[in-house]
Amino acid sequence: MSIEGAFDLIVVGGGTAGCVVAARASEDPALRVLLVEAGPDPRPIPDIVADPKRQSELILKSPYVRMYDVAREDGSTFPLLSGRIMGGGSSINNLAVVRPMRRDFDAWTQFGGPVWSYDALLPLMRAIETDRDFGDSPIHGSAGPLQLHRSFKLDDPADPPVRALIEAALALGLPACPDLNVPEPYGICASPYNVENGRRQSTAVAYLDPARDRPNLTILSDTTAMRLVVNGTRVDGVELARATGPVVVRSASVVLAAGVFHSPQLLMLSGIGPSDELARHRIPVRHHLPGVGTNYQDHAVVYVTFQGTTDLREDYVIPKVRLIAKSDDTMDHPDLHVFMRPSIRMRGLPPMLPVSIHLLEHRSRGNVALQSANPTDLPVVDPALLSHPRDVRALVGGIAVASRLAAHPALAAFYGALLTPGSPDAWEEHVRTSYITYYHGVGTCRIGPAQDPGAVVDSGLRVHGMDNLWVADASVLPVIPHANTNLAAILVGEVAAQAIARA
Amino acid sequence: MKLSGGIEIGAPADQVWTLIIDPVSLSSCIPGVSHVRQIDERTFEGSITVSVGPVDGDFDFNSTLVRREFPDLEVRLEGIDSVTKSRLEATVVASLTSSDPSHTGLAYLATISVRGRLAILGEMILRATAGLIIAELTRCLQARLEGSGIGVGKTDGP
Repeated sequence: MSIEGAFDLIVVGGGTAGCVVAARASEDPALRVLLVEAGPDPRPIPDIVADPKRQSELILKSPYVRMYDVAREDGSTFPLLSGRIMGGGSSINNLAVVRPMRRDFDAWTQFGGPVWSYDALLPLMRAIETDRDFGDSPIHGSAGPLQLHRSFKLDDPADPPVRALIEAALALGLPACPDLNVPEPYGICASPYNVENGRRQSTAVAYLDPARDRPNLTILSDTTAMRLVVNGTRVDGVELARATGPVVVRSASVVLAAGVFHSPQLLMLSGIGPSDELARHRIPVRHHLPGVGTNYQDHAVVYVTFQGTTDLREDYVIPKVRLIAKSDDTMDHPDLHVFMRPSIRMRGLPPMLPVSIHLLEHRSRGNVALQSANPTDLPVVDPALLSHPRDVRALVGGIAVASRLAAHPALAAFYGALLTPGSPDAWEEHVRTSYITYYHGVGTCRIGPAQDPGAVVDSGLRVHGMDNLWVADASVLPVIPHANTNLAAILVGEVAAQAIARA
Repeated sequence: MKLSGGIEIGAPADQVWTLIIDPVSLSSCIPGVSHVRQIDERTFEGSITVSVGPVDGDFDFNSTLVRREFPDLEVRLEGIDSVTKSRLEATVVASLTSSDPSHTGLAYLATISVRGRLAILGEMILRATAGLIIAELTRCLQARLEGSGIGVGKTDGP
C-alpha cells in the first residue's frame, strides 16, 4: 500500500464516521484520500463480526473490542468499550438504527446554529438509509447505503413473553410505536436493525466496501496515528506508527474520526487542547483550546433482576422490542429505554430475568484526559456518570417503571418478585453502585461558536483556530441524544464530508 | 464491587462455625457449585456453571481459607471463566455473632474484582444472582443444622 507523496485528505480513524467520510470524500476522483485505522480490516469480515447471532461472542471473546476501565464514585470499576476494527462501533454494536429525537436536534442547534436543526438535517438522514419498512414515508429514505429493517413488527406473532410485554405496555397506557425513528418516538417500539441477509451492515460494509476499489482511496489498517504535524494554524500531515517504523504522511487537510476517547487524545498529543493539561505532560502548546476532552457524556444503564416464574430460553441479545418510556409521568418527553434481557440460569436456583433501564438524558459531565504523552497509552476517562442527583432520581424512576411493567398480569406468567434491588429503599444505592453504560460516549470535542470556551469545533466541524483540521465523530455532539449514537455518528460523518467538500 | 449483608441461623455459633469452615460442606450449600475437591486443609477447588441467555459458562475456581479464628473467617477465591478467560478475584470476610445460645448471626463482606471481558457482564450477573444464592445458602445451612429451615432470617442483603 503506497503512501508516497501528499494526500488531499487524511481521515484518522476508520470507525463509524471515519468510513463515511472516507467513502463520501473519495466520490470526488480528483481528491486523493487516505483512511487510517488503528485496528485490523479483516477481509472477508469474520462471522463473529458479521453474524448478529454471534453478538454475545463478539463482545465477550473477539479481539475487536477495546476496554477502558473507569470508576464509580464508590471506587468500584466497570469498562467502557470501543470497536478496534474497521467500522469501529458499527462493527461491534448491537446493530440498532435509532435516530436522535427532534429535541436532540433542537439542543444541538443551541450550539451549532440552524444547520443542526431537524429540518435541515432530515434530507441527510433520508440519504443515509434504505428503510425497508418505511422507505416511502416522507421522513425516511429508500436509496441510501445503510440497509435497515425491523425483523419484528408489533402485530407479528411472537414468543409469549414478547407478546405479554407488548400487552402490558399498552395496558399501562404506553402507545404502540411501530417506527421509533419518527421525530418524537414514545411507547412500545419495534426495533430497527442494520442487518441485510443476516449480515451486519457496519459502515465498513455499507459505505467503505463500495468505495474500496477507487484508485484515489488508500486504506491503511493496523496503523496508529501518533500525532498531527501542526504548523501554526495548519496541519501539514500525520505521524503514523507502522510495522516498519514511524512515518509522516503529508496532507492538505486532516479529519480526526478517532472517536470520543481518541480524537481528544490525538488533539492533545499534538499540542491542541487545554494548556494546563498539555503542560502536565510537557507537551508544547500549539493551540490552547480548553474544551478538548471536556463535556464527556454517556447513557447510564442499570440492571434489575426479577425472579422468573418460567425458564425463558429465548435469545434477547438483539431485542425485538424496546420500551421508550418516561422516568417521571409528569415529563413531557421520554428519557428511558427499557429492555427485557436474557434469563440467567444457575443450577439449584429459579431462573432470573434481568431488565435493563437506560437513561437517555444526562446532566452529569465527565472528561477525557491524557494518561501520558505516549500515544500508545490509552487516555484516562472519567465519565462522572450520575454525578448529578437528577440523573440518579431518573434511574430510580426507571426501576419503578420496570416494576410496574413486570407486575402487570400479562407479564405475571413470566416475571415474579423483584430480586435485585429488593425494596424501594435499596433502589437508589443500587443505582449508584451498580450502573454501567450503554457505551454511547459523546461530547469531548463539541460543537460551539468560537467565543464559547468549551467549544472545540465550529458548526461545520472545523477545529477552532485551525485552517484545515476537522473532527468527525460522536465527540462533536454537544448534548447526548435520546437514542443509540451510531446513527448520529453516521450523520456527523455525512455532515463533515459535505463541510469539507465546501471548504 | 462489594456485596455485604447478613443472615441469621437458628443454631448455636459453634455448630455454625464447624459447618462453615468445612469447605466441602459449605460449598454443597452454594447453588451452582460442583466438582468440589479439597486440596488440603485450607484449599479447595471447584466449578460454578451459569447461563446467560444463549451463553453457557463454567467458572473454575480455587479457594483458600486465609484466616480461621473463631468467630472470624476470611476466604480468598480466584478463578477463570470458560467463555472469556477472564479472571475473578474475591475476598470474603465472614463473622459470627451470637445474640442468644440458640441463634447465630453471620455477617459477610465480599470484595470482588473482575479482570477482562467478563467485567462487561460479570457484575450484573453477580448482583443478580447474589440475593438468591444467599437465600439458598441460608436455607441449606439451616437445614443442615436444624433439619427444617425454621428460624432462619436474612437480615440484610446485596
